[in-house]
Amino acid sequence: MQNVIAYIEHKHGVVRRVSLEAVTQGRTLADKLGGKVHAVVAGAGASDAAETLKKYPVDQIHVSGDERFIDGAVDALETVAKSAGNALVLVGNTMIGRDVGSRFAARVDCGINADVVDFTTDGSVAAVMPKLGGLVITTCAYVGDFGVAAIRPNVFAAKETSGAGEIVHLASNATASPVTVEDEVEEAAAELGVEEASVVVSGGRGMGGPEPFTTILKDLADAFGGAVGASRAAVDAGWIPHGHQVGQTGKTISPTLYLAVGISGAIQHKVGMRTSETIVAINKDANAPIAEFADLLVVGDAFAIVPALTNLVRDAKAAHA
Amino acid sequence: MGAESRPVPDEPGSEPGFVRPEVLALKILVTVKLVPDTNADKRIDPSTMRLVRTGVETVLNPFDEYALEAALQLKEKLNDGSTVTVVSMTPAANKEIVRKALAMGADDAVMISDDTLAGSDLWGTAVALSAAIKAQSPDLVLTGTQSTDAISGDLPGMLAEKLGFPGLTYARKIDLADGRVRVERETENGYMTISAPLPALVSVTKSANEPRYPSLKGIMGAKKKEIKQLAAADLGLTVAVGTDGAKAKLINVAPAPVRGKGRVETAADGADGARIIVEFLKERKFL
Repeated sequence: MQNVIAYIEHKHGVVRRVSLEAVTQGRTLADKLGGKVHAVVAGAGASDAAETLKKYPVDQIHVSGDERFIDGAVDALETVAKSAGNALVLVGNTMIGRDVGSRFAARVDCGINADVVDFTTDGSVAAVMPKLGGLVITTCAYVGDFGVAAIRPNVFAAKETSGAGEIVHLASNATASPVTVEDEVEEAAAELGVEEASVVVSGGRGMGGPEPFTTILKDLADAFGGAVGASRAAVDAGWIPHGHQVGQTGKTISPTLYLAVGISGAIQHKVGMRTSETIVAINKDANAPIAEFADLLVVGDAFAIVPALTNLVRDAKAAHA
Repeated sequence: MGAESRPVPDEPGSEPGFVRPEVLALKILVTVKLVPDTNADKRIDPSTMRLVRTGVETVLNPFDEYALEAALQLKEKLNDGSTVTVVSMTPAANKEIVRKALAMGADDAVMISDDTLAGSDLWGTAVALSAAIKAQSPDLVLTGTQSTDAISGDLPGMLAEKLGFPGLTYARKIDLADGRVRVERETENGYMTISAPLPALVSVTKSANEPRYPSLKGIMGAKKKEIKQLAAADLGLTVAVGTDGAKAKLINVAPAPVRGKGRVETAADGADGARIIVEFLKERKFL
């Protein structure tokens, strides 16, 4: 494989950051492998998304107006991949990215690697992934002309360049979609999820109820421009929806800063966040398991520390602004 | 659609003369993976780079229990003779763990056990599992969203594609009506309602339900339920799967860098705790 195809996830033309990370990393890989970088963007707003992509290091931006849910994107990817002859397809390791990447892999019978955090290019490209809850780092090569890598958000950099990609319009021969989208409801304001936020402020059993998740933790996350996460205990207690859960039965994330508030750090939680760049914990128990792997554990009352911290962070951010 | 080959069951409690139009019992199939216990603190044997399984129990993948519970609830709601079949690709030695799914209320199970399937990558798993599923002619296939050991979340989409079924993933609510399945699909900040005709594949999220514990009656009853054992040769595969057929080949395993113990400081009060953290964040250039 020499070429790279980045699948561009977008909402009404607004491109998700992980897709920009995919094109930027795609350039690095294609340069090492001696191939081209293609971006594939489909659905309503695809042309707007293509404009954003012109600021990134892509050779060709393939635009498809096919609006069918998932199927439209998979068909477009298949067309571009077959015409390129060989390609590593990069998708974000997100709900949509996984759906598109997995269906493409099954359709063209290729290997797929999930939650990729690095690549090696020793002759051919291989994907590097933490496995077994982060206990080991595995490297997987691809057999054949195609492969899919679902990249973990927030791990690769997204960098604008002066290069302007050529826009190619894909002809759509779409048949009726078997899946009908009847309705879409936004229950919360659009915000970065825990998988994509570079700062995650998580609460656990020590929060005692749902309220801190929408008040003191939310305020601190907002001060950082980050997201609110939670431990399984907090989710199982019904304090916050499952989408926020970090851990083995939730999401595995690698933010640059992870703040664990009132979270003991049981193994189930640890495997979901131990690859964070920096971990800061606030806990009333100095012997909580999280002390073994947090870069800083502050022993004290979270309900007093967090609001004070929020004020200091706001001040520090304002001083830089 | 597979249901056409099955008899129309008696309608329980229907009035004489009442004709229920086009009632066909559904065959619901649930895929189940067996995984090392989620709560065990796992270790790697440095000489083999494999998981040390001593003292680590094998359990039903917790994510698959939500799919199984959803299937059982649909069956109970339909109450028309619809059945729930569990399918698992796992060594034959794990038969008694598969039986737990039967104790929860599934009607029967199919196990695909074969040494030649060992080492299958996601693609190989999708090929073998979809072949076994197809042979069952299901109307609805329910899966978990991911497994707690591999955590790829890619198998539902791959199975849907290989089966040629519409794939409705991340469902937190599932309804069946007029030969269609309608789900609330979770999104990052809400949900979307999507529907498709049967047969279809649906992956079920944790928010969908609270999986039941097997009752004593269920455990006793499960002993009599059938667990059909299939080998790779029974699947009619035309391509090699297992280690040799893998499209993603493991070329290296290394221990992950160990995260050391950091600083522990005791805060005198809220302001002091905040000060300690801010100083630390400034050292690390976060502020």
